[in-house]
Amino acid sequence: MIAAAIRQYRHWILATLLLLVVLAFLPFLVAPFYVRVAQLVLLSAALALAWTLLGGFAGYWSFGHTAFIGLGAFAAGLFETNLMRGAPLSGLGAGLVVGSALCAVVAALVAWPILRLRGIYFAVAMLGVAQVLAELNNNIDAFNLSLGLVLPRIAAFGLRPEAVFYYLLLIATFLTLLIAFAVKTSRTGYGLVALREDEDTARMLGVPTERFKIAMFILSAAITGAIGVIYAHSLGYITTGSVYRTDFSLNMIVYNLLGGMGTLVGPLIGSLVMVVLTQVVLGRLLSIHMLITGALLVLLVLLAPNGLVGIWQRRSAQ
Amino acid sequence: VLALQTIADGLVLGGLYALAAVGFSLIFGVMGVVNLSHGALVMIGAYLAWFLWQMTGIDPLLAIPPIMVVLFVTGYAYQRLLIQLAVDRSSLLTSLLVTFGVALMLRNTLVLVFSPDLRSITPAYAGRPLAVGGIVFDPVRVAALAASLVLLWALASVLRRTRVGRVIRATAQHELAARLCGVNALHVYGMTFGVSAAFAGASGAILGIVLPFSPPDEALWTLNAFVVVVLGGIGSPAGALLGGLLLGLISTGTSHLIGPAFPNAMMFLILVAMLLLRPAGLLGNAFAGSR
Repeated sequence: MIAAAIRQYRHWILATLLLLVVLAFLPFLVAPFYVRVAQLVLLSAALALAWTLLGGFAGYWSFGHTAFIGLGAFAAGLFETNLMRGAPLSGLGAGLVVGSALCAVVAALVAWPILRLRGIYFAVAMLGVAQVLAELNNNIDAFNLSLGLVLPRIAAFGLRPEAVFYYLLLIATFLTLLIAFAVKTSRTGYGLVALREDEDTARMLGVPTERFKIAMFILSAAITGAIGVIYAHSLGYITTGSVYRTDFSLNMIVYNLLGGMGTLVGPLIGSLVMVVLTQVVLGRLLSIHMLITGALLVLLVLLAPNGLVGIWQRRSAQ
Repeated sequence: VLALQTIADGLVLGGLYALAAVGFSLIFGVMGVVNLSHGALVMIGAYLAWFLWQMTGIDPLLAIPPIMVVLFVTGYAYQRLLIQLAVDRSSLLTSLLVTFGVALMLRNTLVLVFSPDLRSITPAYAGRPLAVGGIVFDPVRVAALAASLVLLWALASVLRRTRVGRVIRATAQHELAARLCGVNALHVYGMTFGVSAAFAGASGAILGIVLPFSPPDEALWTLNAFVVVVLGGIGSPAGALLGGLLLGLISTGTSHLIGPAFPNAMMFLILVAMLLLRPAGLLGNAFAGSR
């Protein structure tokens, strides 16, 4: 099945590899500010792709995925600062494993009850899960996390710090894209499409919907956790407020909506457009930043309900 | 005595929660739209009351009728011009995004117009506590609770006895059947949204005399409304009242018994638990979309 899929999408795969080569040289070509922007685009794209595994493919819109960013970040941070002092690079590797493993476990625990809810109820329950975790993170005295956590500095190959995190996020985005491609073209992927369109019918026809959506939830959570670990290191110092951010959860949805829900190109295009727009074009208008973001959201839903990919598909269909 | 005081404080807060949530509940019940800008409408009510009080010295409780009229018109236009379009063009779920976008815009506008500082309204009768049997009653809070209860009762009677109320209930039960009987569903949706916004504004005016407020509070009031609705049940003033009073008791009880940092965590735990165990709320019918 994979071989057939690779043949079918060979143009896309070629384009992706070419883009990857270009992106690999980017930090040597442009000013540090634009490396920062590119880093933010990659972070957003990776998160949006991780979200789409559940939200785009299965149609379960999580409004609380930032729970896994925060969980991964703090788990890795605690692990590294307590057990892996003095070896920041291998610490980061271990932190990635610990962070995503904890997210997978927590996702597995909440998946069974919460995935029984649908639509708005699932969305809001996830919002609740994120809020509860954030509050607990801030208020349980045993770890003293309300003061925040300073993470070990990561430096490698004599690169500037923003370039290091740029490459880490580039790798993360590429791996997430690979995973999403593998899922989408597999048997599970087709099962998920059926699940998204009509869960009861899919179930009746023998699609193991329960298993599929729980698997996607855990996978999505683990990847989000790993990205959260990298993000935490790029910040250097994390607090509850800086990793449990509701705007992360919402942005993951916005990027997907803007690009095209349920596609692989969609989240990438969506995060590129949105980040460039809000960081570069609107960067100087801080006092009306929310006003414009809100207006963009409204316009987006009204003008392009199927995203930019949807517009393009409609064009090419005509 | 401390326990009784906690309960009394919880009830006052609960009346306010109930009034702030009843409009949210109505929209959710009739249209299935989760209005994430509901809290922003509450804040608009609070700022209008504050503005009128600053300019003319009108008591916020007397300012409620004009505020309700202004917000009714706003709500009607908001639904007809924006939300209905979004629902038609894509899906009910995207109405979450539209209303969230509007909430951001409103919050930013409030910050620009009124500054991000904390505001509070202190009417003439503030600060003269009455002690009844060892429990302290602040007249402001008593007035707030009374006003909330009167407004809730008024909404319940409108829904139960008037023609508009009957049409709204019919559309909530079955849109198609209501349309077949000659109901203009779009108009009803607009009316419902207007009523909802009007009651949000009224609760904002009352909130202003009880608590200090600032624009970012809107998120908190939206969440409160959601918890109240999930606790009490969808679409009925009685459910909102029950949910609101419970939430008030839970949040004062939690900060009294466990610690002042925990009411929010407790609130969300209860929210998630209720969604799982009894998504229809304590009062209220099961609704189709939840499972």
